[in-house]
Amino acid sequence: MAPEQTPLLQGTLDLLILKSLALQEMHGLGIARRVGQITSETFQVKPGSLFPALHRMEQEGWLTSTWGESENNRRAKYYRLTKAGRRQLETETERWGRISLAIAQALETP
Amino acid sequence: MRWFARFASLFRNLSHKQEHEQELDQEVSSYLDLLTEEKIRDGMAPDAARRAARLELGGVEQVKEQVRDVRVGIWLETLLQDIRYGARVLRNNPGFSLLVVLTLALGIGANTAIFSVVYGVLLRPLPYSHGGQLVVAHQHTLGQSADIPFSYKEVLDYREQTKTLDAVVEYHSMYFLLLGDDSAERVRTAVVSANFFDVLGVKPLLGRTFLASDESQNADAVLVLSYQYWQSHQGGDANIVGKVFHMNNRPHTVIGVLPPVPQYPAENDVYMPTSQCPFRSAQTFMANRRNRMMTVFGRLKPGVPLPTAQADLSMIASRVESANPDVYPKADGYGVAVAPLREDLARRARTTLLVLLGAAAFVLLIACANVANLMLARLLKRERELAVRSALGATRARLVRQLLTETVLLSLTGGILGLELAYPTLTLLVKFAARFTTRANEVRIDGVVLAFTLGVSVLSGLLFGFAPALSSRQRVSDALKQGDGQATSGRGRQSLRAGLVVLQIAVSFVLLIGAGLMIRSFEKLLSVDPGFSPERVLSLNLSPNFSRYTESAQFVALGDNILRNVRAVGGVESAALASNFPFSPMALTSGPGSVNFDIEGRPVSSGDLQPRVDANGVSSGYFETLRQPLLRGRAFTDHDDANAMKVAIINNSMALHRFASEDPVGKRISFDSGKTWITIAGVVGDAREYGLERTVSDEVYLPADQAGFGGSLLVRTTVDPMSITPLIRKALHDVDPQLAVDQVETLEYLQHESLASPRITTILLGIFAGLALLISASGIAGIMALTVSQRTRELGIRMALGQSKSSVVRMVVRQGLIVALAGTALGLIGAMILARLLSSLLYATSPTDISTFAAVSLLFIVVAGLACFVPARRVTTIDPFIALRQE
Repeated sequence: MAPEQTPLLQGTLDLLILKSLALQEMHGLGIARRVGQITSETFQVKPGSLFPALHRMEQEGWLTSTWGESENNRRAKYYRLTKAGRRQLETETERWGRISLAIAQALETP
Repeated sequence: MRWFARFASLFRNLSHKQEHEQELDQEVSSYLDLLTEEKIRDGMAPDAARRAARLELGGVEQVKEQVRDVRVGIWLETLLQDIRYGARVLRNNPGFSLLVVLTLALGIGANTAIFSVVYGVLLRPLPYSHGGQLVVAHQHTLGQSADIPFSYKEVLDYREQTKTLDAVVEYHSMYFLLLGDDSAERVRTAVVSANFFDVLGVKPLLGRTFLASDESQNADAVLVLSYQYWQSHQGGDANIVGKVFHMNNRPHTVIGVLPPVPQYPAENDVYMPTSQCPFRSAQTFMANRRNRMMTVFGRLKPGVPLPTAQADLSMIASRVESANPDVYPKADGYGVAVAPLREDLARRARTTLLVLLGAAAFVLLIACANVANLMLARLLKRERELAVRSALGATRARLVRQLLTETVLLSLTGGILGLELAYPTLTLLVKFAARFTTRANEVRIDGVVLAFTLGVSVLSGLLFGFAPALSSRQRVSDALKQGDGQATSGRGRQSLRAGLVVLQIAVSFVLLIGAGLMIRSFEKLLSVDPGFSPERVLSLNLSPNFSRYTESAQFVALGDNILRNVRAVGGVESAALASNFPFSPMALTSGPGSVNFDIEGRPVSSGDLQPRVDANGVSSGYFETLRQPLLRGRAFTDHDDANAMKVAIINNSMALHRFASEDPVGKRISFDSGKTWITIAGVVGDAREYGLERTVSDEVYLPADQAGFGGSLLVRTTVDPMSITPLIRKALHDVDPQLAVDQVETLEYLQHESLASPRITTILLGIFAGLALLISASGIAGIMALTVSQRTRELGIRMALGQSKSSVVRMVVRQGLIVALAGTALGLIGAMILARLLSSLLYATSPTDISTFAAVSLLFIVVAGLACFVPARRVTTIDPFIALRQE
């Protein structure tokens, strides 16, 4: 069931979290599941790295959080992108594009 | 924007810590709930789902700790937390904390006090605008002190020929009488070149300093007052400039007042240009290249390094030498040395101060080792606490940081207390340093010293904190499994503790050797026979108004009148006048003088050194007053006046040195290359005139009436000498109301004072060494006590198996003694190397003095033995049954 797992590259987790939150606000477990889903389970985010990342990004001003009700009426903390967070997503996406292109080129070179 | 967000978070984090923690807790548990729910939805049983969720999450506390670690300002928060926690731990162990803080306070206090003196005297830049470029020149010849003053012609030579110095200025200091209508006040007067203050870079507070025109022969006489004199004697009179005083029979106008800066090379009351000093400006003085009394200062040209200036002056010296072969015979080895003024002013203080600073640093090192040992012992009891904390998610680095925070907290408290201790001792230390250098007045606790104290405190905290912190156990489970109070320390830590004790013992051994050598040397100084009897002898300094005594006959009459009047005072046994007397403060600082002389019938061949001797003019009754024994011939009488045959009395050293196999009485010597001959009339015993520690130099005594008025009066009394000073003063006033009398002291006091600096150095080193011994002994006792309490079970088994109590005690003591002996052996080697640094402070004592080393070693073994034995005796109180049951 579980596909091959790849360790997360430095900075990649931030980008994936920003991307997951691009459409709607989500709680922690939701984000973890969403990341798994959009990367076809290549990356599985453990709470030990998810929570520090969320708190760090909130301090950077990219995310805000509010307490809300989950689909099953459980209290959960929901995270949402801020304006700064959207800008960060754009920059990060662009940067990632450059990096992956460069790496791909490098690897194609005979 | 981002920085603002971070800052806002920092503020939030710090101010709403409680809420934050709650929220984090809720967030993690809500995550766990959601995860469990998900698993139930996937078809797991509720119990199994919860367990699986927990496993997936990992440790709740660890996750929370990881979140805390990314918080902005986490370091500050942790630090505050560590400090709070540390303070609580320390408060809960008041005995331990007090012991540590006091030990450190003593160590840091001693270092702060000594460092403030070292900094003020040796390191602080001179407070003059050209301070760094100022240099002093010293002339030297072979076999003479390296500090021969300059004559006028020599000053001119260097001034005119130098290429590396911007300016060459001269200085000498004399006492003159500042006359009022019916008073005579002796003022210490510096006689300086006109550009003296410009070279130093001193601007006047009031008026002006000297101009070149003030130094010309027929200029009006002017004075510049020192700030201190202006304040203390002229009441800080704002209109002082223009005021006229009488001095040397001329009106002198005040033209300026100096700012309150330290004066170099000495504190003076007033300053005058060279042309106004009747001695310095006399044609006869200036014409003779041998009339030396001035000190020479210079200022390096910008960018000129000292060695270049030295080479320049040496070249001038060799030119001067070859141009005047009669004054500087080749064999004399004439030369000149140039040194930075800052170093020169402190050169006599340097060794003593550095030795004391080293000793203080050693004491602190021992204190740190001792505290480290205490920390190690205490850590044993905290092993479980630390293990629990690391089980709760604290990283090893975090624990080490916690321990270091505690130790730095302790050392900073010790530092503050040490500073409190340093303040009161500083006054004493300044008085002590003033015996070596004028710069002692500049000693104070300032920013640099405070920074030093802070640095030393933090450093010692880290020093004694690191060893224990790094040795804290890594294996959490081991520590958790152990029962309370049963933790035994590992082999590594045991040897670390032993190593610390060895270090303490070695360092205190070195200190004790240092103190022992100083005590031995001081004992020898005290047992030196001064060669005369200082009991009940009073010395007074007399300054007649020189302008009223112009003929030598007037001086002779003055001397006769003084002696007649003083000898008539009740309680006076005998009295004499002299140009110098034993232990006079002047003699102690300047050391013996040196004049060339010839012995009749023994011409000096051109390659040989001219004989030299220290000369002293003394009146009749001098040897009787001092009880300096007459060995041969006769003493001076009142008949040895200007009209009588010229006579001299020599000391025993000179008799042996110059007339080894002959009887010196009747031989003739000359101080003017044979123009007049002086017959030796007697030989007296050696007197240690220039300090007990100085070897007696050759000495010639000349009758005061033939040699000139001596300004010192010596009176031997039958009663307490101080009690009759008013009578003596009155007798002197009757001779001449304008005769200034000061520096009234007993010779006994002066002798005592002459030993003040070795005495205080010895006492200070003794205190440091005693402190070190005490700390080390408590260190040994501490490690022994701990060993015994840790090995209670083992020792109990041994006793249960039949080993006798005394043999168990012996075994424990033996182990302690091995540590003590290792320390002593290490200390012995250290002392052999380091004691050499003391050699310049020691009198007639070798730095490897066998008896000192033996005595200190013995003392150490006794103290170490006691320190081992007392805790080891607790072994006898062990009941094998209780010890075995203990679990």
